[in-house]
Amino acid sequence: MKSLSIRNLSKTYFDPYAGKHVTAVQAVSLDVPEGEFVCVVGPSGCGKTTILNMIAGFIPLSGGEIVVDGRSVSGPGPDRGVVFQSHALFPWKTVLENVAFGPKMRGVPLADREAIAREYLALAGLAHAADRYPNELSGGMQQRVGVARALANQPAVLLMDEPFASVDAQTRMTLQEELTRIWQERRPTIIFITHDVPEAVFLANRVVVLSKGRVLKEIDIDLPRPRVWDALIEDERFKTLSAQVLQLVRSA
Amino acid sequence: MTAPAVTGASPRPSAALKRLTGAVTFLLPLVVLVIVWEAAVRITQVHPGVFPGVGAVMKAGAESIRDGSLWMHVGASMGRVMLGTVLAILVGVPLGVLMGVSPAVSTFLTPLFRFFSVLAGIAWIPIATLWFGYGFGAIIFVIFNAVFFVVAYNTLLGVSGIPITLRNAAASLGAGPWTMLREVLLPGALPNIVTGIRTGLGFAWRGLIAAEMIATNVGLGYMLFLARDFYRTELIVFGMVVIGILWLLIDRLILAPLERRTIERWGLVRS
Ligand SMILES: Nc1ncnc2c1ncn2[C@@H]1O[C@H](COP(=O)(O)OP(=O)(O)OP(=O)(O)O)[C@@H](O)[C@H]1O
Ligand SMILES: [Mg+2]
Repeated sequence: MKSLSIRNLSKTYFDPYAGKHVTAVQAVSLDVPEGEFVCVVGPSGCGKTTILNMIAGFIPLSGGEIVVDGRSVSGPGPDRGVVFQSHALFPWKTVLENVAFGPKMRGVPLADREAIAREYLALAGLAHAADRYPNELSGGMQQRVGVARALANQPAVLLMDEPFASVDAQTRMTLQEELTRIWQERRPTIIFITHDVPEAVFLANRVVVLSKGRVLKEIDIDLPRPRVWDALIEDERFKTLSAQVLQLVRSA
Repeated sequence: MTAPAVTGASPRPSAALKRLTGAVTFLLPLVVLVIVWEAAVRITQVHPGVFPGVGAVMKAGAESIRDGSLWMHVGASMGRVMLGTVLAILVGVPLGVLMGVSPAVSTFLTPLFRFFSVLAGIAWIPIATLWFGYGFGAIIFVIFNAVFFVVAYNTLLGVSGIPITLRNAAASLGAGPWTMLREVLLPGALPNIVTGIRTGLGFAWRGLIAAEMIATNVGLGYMLFLARDFYRTELIVFGMVVIGILWLLIDRLILAPLERRTIERWGLVRS
């Protein structure tokens, strides 16, 4: 069974300044089987965020179809978890309450949903921060909570739009390693958007390169796991793949 | 003159000490006002019927406390403010939320809000007395008007100031319309709602005193008006002092801490 299938997705925006319609996404098709980790890369403005927002149901489609677990979807829903670039945690809820939010929406009783939340916080290495408020956390910790909150709802697909773009380089590498570890433990289906080519190659099973609203090429990443930066940074295969993807992005 | 001594006593100020110095710096100007008042009365030898000294006002106050009339007036005024405010919140918050989530509703209502907000309060007294007669209903109506528009408008600001990503996050975690309201819109707008209530209560307090002078036979406004009829200047001044002090207490002990708590705890910074 395929977890996510996008068929002929397209999006046109009306540009009020130019006074005409602009095509941001054009006939994009993509199949993401259950448990796969796909990274979407492409130059700024190529339509990455637009595609993710359509999959998440935040903006309407101009054409095409999105199928999750065999069902055509429209509008946001708990089958598609989202991790945002700006963490989007509820500032009036503690870390624990944030992570327990999805289960709460499903009607899970308090004790049970707190247990679920603690489990996923531990998975994200944040068991100690359960009772803090989001504004008391560092940027890296906020993103970890965002990942835990999305995973705790056990979505069919996890959508991530440049979630590590606004943290420092050291923290970003740690977060990337943690995400691959979590993926190996739980095998969620992930679509991860980034413009950082090494990040995409490091994380993914498959990298999809976009160009001007279309899929330019898909590249399988056959690097072994677990992946850690200390080993990969000198790895010839990693270098070759990164160079290949980078060249495609720059030609896009 | 104890303040400087106390501040200098301890190198690391404790929370209690900080509260104390806060209270002292707040009260000091008021104390200076009383001193200047008494000095001015003594120096100018103004007739007590025009403006009384501190002693005469305190005597009038003690008398009204002893005979129970002060409590009666304060109780009546506070009860009206509370009822009118609660009603205004019950109507204003839902309307503000509706405006916050629906651009069409807010586009339609915004000019009306601008129009009515300048009328909020005492401008409604004449027509309120026509509609509700001289009494309770007219006063509640005036207070309601003073609080309602401010609360609704601030709720609108609060709701429309909630980042769209927070609503998107809630929706993608499975929130429906009601849970969105309860879990995101109301808590997200709460700091603004509290600010609206604080501002609105300020208007309400003024509107109340004005309305009570005209439309009733009990309450602080009526107390001032009655005292004037008997040329009891010292009672008028005492009433004014009570009105000011009551507002300071409500604002400083209830509203300001509430506003600070909601904003600071969540780290929300709103313009
Ligand atoms: N709301 C909008 N109205 C009009 N045009 C839009 C809107 N959102 C995006 N666009 C346009 O659609 C195109 C794709 O934008 P999108 O945000 O999806 O790019 P992106 O790949 O995510 O870029 P970045 O890497 O900079 O985040 C751009 O040309 C952008 O200007
Ligand atoms: Mg983007």
